[in-house]
Amino acid sequence: MAAVAALLLGSPADAHVGTGLAGGFASGFNHPLAGFDHLLAMVAVGLWGAFLGRPLIYALPVIFPAVMVGGAVLGMLDVPLPPVDIGIALSVLVLGGCIVLSLKAPVWAASLIVATFAVFHGYAHGKELPSAADPIGFSVGFVLATGLLHVLGICAGFLNDRPGGVIATRSMGGLIGGMGVWYLCRAIGS
Amino acid sequence: MRGGALPPALVSLALGLALAFAPRGIWRLSLVTLTVTATALAIAPVPRGWLDFVFLGCWLSVAASAATVHLPGGLRPRWAFAASLNAGFWSGAVIALSGSRLDLLKALPCVLVLFPAALGLGSRAMIAAKVAASWLIAIAVLAATLQFLPVTPGYMPDHLD
Repeated sequence: MAAVAALLLGSPADAHVGTGLAGGFASGFNHPLAGFDHLLAMVAVGLWGAFLGRPLIYALPVIFPAVMVGGAVLGMLDVPLPPVDIGIALSVLVLGGCIVLSLKAPVWAASLIVATFAVFHGYAHGKELPSAADPIGFSVGFVLATGLLHVLGICAGFLNDRPGGVIATRSMGGLIGGMGVWYLCRAIGS
Repeated sequence: MRGGALPPALVSLALGLALAFAPRGIWRLSLVTLTVTATALAIAPVPRGWLDFVFLGCWLSVAASAATVHLPGGLRPRWAFAASLNAGFWSGAVIALSGSRLDLLKALPCVLVLFPAALGLGSRAMIAAKVAASWLIAIAVLAATLQFLPVTPGYMPDHLD
């Protein structure tokens, strides 16, 4: 899908037509990857989904972009939210914590946790969307990058089927949660 | 910039994913319907004033087609045919208004995603098709919403004014 999108989207020069502004597929794709907090949270969603099994293994990566859109719309409308940096840092901390504790949350609770954090991540992306020269390309980019990070997390979660895999994936959760603590301290301190 | 091959390609991708969950017997008719309808609309004189309406229809089609992957048992044959007709209509209309006929050649082959997606049915790979469908819904909702926001999108020429 990434290859198809790259082929179909205009060249960088096309993205600037009419406005002189940057912001197309590449900007959107880089947006979730540029912030390590975004990246860790996305991987954690997939990894936790893999821990929880069906139906959440595919429900969480479906719920996340659906709710993220709502957050993006709030961002585009500039609706005030509680500090987004703290929300994103908390998402890294909580999702990492759920993995390290191997928390078997019920479907509704896991969906609610992921959906809540999706609002903050979507808000951060949505703030930049309207000013992009190619907002559709930007949307494709950031949704695709987000989804690929979920898939990366799910694939890492398949390690659970191997001997010692659960220890490895829970350790990843510990690292993610640890980074979450650091991001939260930084967000509160700033 | 919001036209070109991308919107019709996303319509084709969404339709391809939807057809992967439909009975195989309807695939050929659906593909022919998509191609003929899109080609006919792409060369038809679609009124310029319909631009926003056509884009909205295009994004709603992406979201609706992609959402059908979650239907138990997938699309019924009659609905698969209707979805192909619908996808062809909006793809062709978008190209007629804001693309070139070459964009049709770039966009329509995206429907062929149905073959790899159908291969994954019943296995873990089916998750990938459902997740990809949710991405398409997210993109379509964002793009459709942008039309109604009280902000000047970056593709409008007066963005720097």
